[in-house]
Amino acid sequence: MSNKPFNSFEMAQAQFDAVADLLGLDSGTRDLLRNPLREYAFLIPVRMDDGSVRVFRGFRVQHSDARGPAKGGIRFHPMETLDTVRALAMWMTWKCATVDIPLGGGKGGVVCDPHGLSAREQEGICRGWVRQLARNVGPTRDVPAPDVMTSAQHMLWMLDEYETIHGQKAPGFITGKPVGMGGSLGRTEATGFGVVFTLREALKELNVRASDTLASVQGFGNVAQYAIQLYGQLGGTVVCVSSWDQEDQTSYSFRKTSGVKYDELRGITDRFGGIDKAKARDLGYEVLPGDEWLAQDVDVLIPSALENQITADNVKKISGRVKIVAEGANGPTSPDADRFLKERGVFMIPDLLCNAGGVTCSYFEQVQSNMNYYWEKDEVLGKLDVKMTSAFAAVSEMARKNKLYMRQAAYVIAVSRVAEACRDRGWV
Amino acid sequence: MGEGTHDPVPRFERRFFAGPDAITRIADGELGGKASGLVRARDLLARAFPEGRVHGFAVGVPRMAVLATGAFEAFLERNRLAGVLAEDLPDDRVALAFQQADIPVEVLGDLRALVEEVRTPLAVRSSSRLEDARLGPFAGVFATKMIPNHDPAADARFRRLTEAIKLVWASTYFAEARAYRAAAGVGDADERMAVVVQDVVGLRHGDRYYPDVSAVARTVNFYPTGRARREEGVVELALGLGKTIVDGEAAWTYSPAWPKAPPPFGSARDVVRQTQNRFWAVDMSHGRPHDPIAETEFLARCGLEDADYDGTLARTASTWDARSDRLSPGVGAEGTRVLTFAPLLLLRDPPLNDAVAAVLRACEEALGEAVEIELAATFERGAAPRLGFLQVRPMVVAAETVEIAERDLADPALLVVSHRAMGNGVEDGIRDVVYVRPETFETRHTRAAAAEIERLNAALVAAGRPYVLIGFGRWGSADPWLGIPVDWARIRGARVIVESTAPGLDVEPSQGSHFFHNLTSFRVSYLWVRHDASPPIDWAWLDALPAATEGALTRHVRLDRALAVRVDGRSGVGAIWRRPPGAPPADRGPTA
Repeated sequence: MSNKPFNSFEMAQAQFDAVADLLGLDSGTRDLLRNPLREYAFLIPVRMDDGSVRVFRGFRVQHSDARGPAKGGIRFHPMETLDTVRALAMWMTWKCATVDIPLGGGKGGVVCDPHGLSAREQEGICRGWVRQLARNVGPTRDVPAPDVMTSAQHMLWMLDEYETIHGQKAPGFITGKPVGMGGSLGRTEATGFGVVFTLREALKELNVRASDTLASVQGFGNVAQYAIQLYGQLGGTVVCVSSWDQEDQTSYSFRKTSGVKYDELRGITDRFGGIDKAKARDLGYEVLPGDEWLAQDVDVLIPSALENQITADNVKKISGRVKIVAEGANGPTSPDADRFLKERGVFMIPDLLCNAGGVTCSYFEQVQSNMNYYWEKDEVLGKLDVKMTSAFAAVSEMARKNKLYMRQAAYVIAVSRVAEACRDRGWV
Repeated sequence: MGEGTHDPVPRFERRFFAGPDAITRIADGELGGKASGLVRARDLLARAFPEGRVHGFAVGVPRMAVLATGAFEAFLERNRLAGVLAEDLPDDRVALAFQQADIPVEVLGDLRALVEEVRTPLAVRSSSRLEDARLGPFAGVFATKMIPNHDPAADARFRRLTEAIKLVWASTYFAEARAYRAAAGVGDADERMAVVVQDVVGLRHGDRYYPDVSAVARTVNFYPTGRARREEGVVELALGLGKTIVDGEAAWTYSPAWPKAPPPFGSARDVVRQTQNRFWAVDMSHGRPHDPIAETEFLARCGLEDADYDGTLARTASTWDARSDRLSPGVGAEGTRVLTFAPLLLLRDPPLNDAVAAVLRACEEALGEAVEIELAATFERGAAPRLGFLQVRPMVVAAETVEIAERDLADPALLVVSHRAMGNGVEDGIRDVVYVRPETFETRHTRAAAAEIERLNAALVAAGRPYVLIGFGRWGSADPWLGIPVDWARIRGARVIVESTAPGLDVEPSQGSHFFHNLTSFRVSYLWVRHDASPPIDWAWLDALPAATEGALTRHVRLDRALAVRVDGRSGVGAIWRRPPGAPPADRGPTA
């Protein structure tokens, strides 16, 4: 490992280059796709509750809209950088193409820590972000969604600002809205459930029953919570969960070898997914250091927190029992660690596929919003399952037929679909 | 499914009907009585007819996926429906609450994949764990819904499927089902409902989809007529969906040993009047009113002229020449079409009776007991005729020997005697009689009579008093012009039921319906008598008793001394005496 700090965008480009080589892409296509099509960086002045004005830095990156309007979340994170947003936008392009929905890739962010901001101040950031971009985003251009530390409430503020500026209702501008305000039933559960739909299919391929497996999960936010719930309903047992502790500014792992109880943990969790240590101990959980989730003797690891969590530094701590890594988060595995896991024969469900349930359901929400006609939850989740399962089957078949690692197979499918769209449009 | 045994029902594969397995399961848990019966049937058919053929018919269980009981349990729990059910709501409110709830996410994808693969009608049928006659007689209690499943949009097909599943689940808690469980001494909590999603056996004719023939066959004939004998069994045939038979509507009844024997009708004109003249089909038209809590939402009741137009009468009908009052098999001549199934039964084109009888025998031999089976046949041009196997149920046939001496039948204390009785055994504790008053009875009042009887039944059940029920026409008929339209749950307190013909209501007893299956399973005695029999029902004695409850159409009388009831299932003779068994002949006159 070099001492150079980790750069997600460089990693995303390296992944793309490898696939471009594999596919033999021409230089024009490579240049078009290894960089974002458009980038916006701007400042958002917000009057704070104490009367002062703070200026926040905001971004929006539209990596590609060859297959449809750009789609991607908006992150509020103190460590946000333009490169992170670029990488995530590129991954969105590949993700939408992997699950074959007619959308491109985008991502946005604001450098801020919402833990220290009042609701009114956060509303100011949301409205300021939209004021900067109102003419560059929209239902037919670029459709934002919630992401790290943003919620349905943030989306609604943004939608309201967008509609005010344009003087018309446009529920299809943004997804992740509250149900009843243009949101889709099932959206909250979609990413976590999608993770488990693909995990279920992977277990089938390995001929292992869910009820015979143990899992360890990094994170206890929205994705992890619903993944844990559905995995449990399929018969699996989660024995360890890690979460970020805002007070101590570090993460902890919470272990119960008899099985984590989803409802129990949820009852002692704050709205950002932080678990109360003292209450957890009272409920019989061992409280361990943050990266211990990785070292558990389990069959399945589900990293569903942030990127770059399984690295060359810690990958060797992974138990020999682990058969499957299901990437609930975006880019949680570094390329070095990825190579190591591949050599170990671990079945990888890559982020592009594994956590695509969120964007798939966002697409469903957008369709419903544009029609202003909303589906039953059964309908949303039924479609989601079929979409995710079909995508898994396609990636797995590609991997099997061409002797590729699952991540490579997903990239091959995604990049070739986007490259084809660029060619068909006459761009390259 | 026992632990450690080979699972005979593999998991549903997303490729569903393209897959090699005709029966698959979705979700964990039990398959329920109906599905388990069909799994047994599949296996025994494979053994009995290894080529999959019987007398030229392709025979088999239609493809199906079973949504096992685990999904039902998760549905109740996650939607917190226990609270709703505790309120004892009317059926439509229960159905609504179920419609508004969410199906467990882990089965949605499979259901969605199923409708994406299949575009022909599906039968969504209950498969309760109690719906197996070994445990309890729950036949026809729960909902079955047919869906056309032909909308071009998969979303629409999926919605219809999920609505139908929720309706079947909800029917677990409908009043009738609750009453059945109460009668059988089974708690609501013991019930688990699996759902069978199955190909409807049939062919499409414009906006109608139906089988050419539905059949219910039983190895025991409770009402043998003419040369037929009890142990030869009985077959009922109907055009279209089997709903006609199981609901107790007019169907063609015959002994499989004597398929060509003329039915007990006085004249060809009577045949025209008393045979099936309407049939059920899946309605394939678009734009029907949305009514997800109605079982019949996608069913059409059609006339024989529709079937004639569809060409499905060629093998099922005869034609009546009014001038000569004669019937000729087939539809070659002009005239009124009559469903006699003559081309199949007389001309053996194809030999349907041979196939049905062979399947019935195979089932009886394999299960080692009397059985009832449901089948549906199609005759597609250019293809082998098909016989779809829809259901198998063991029949409860009592074995105890009951002797009724000739002199007892001459006893002046005889209240009623039947030579076509069903059931077997002795009842000596009954002191209540509910009867339809002969002087006010008219067929147009059958619904009102049903309502009065339901109220009396509720009071007697609450008081824990079994009773004798006497009335006119077919009990349990869905057609109010053929009898009193009660479902069994509404007369469930009756231990003995007497069905009498009446002038102007001279109908044959029904025996293919779920109603009768349940009666026999609950060991209720059933006495069929003609109004002009000798001796007749002793109405005068009943009328002379003081009424415990007097209705416009019915009467309830209470006796000081119990009645004596004897039914000899072997001879089909049953009788009720106005005095306790062994008591000296009483004076003629009220004993109350």
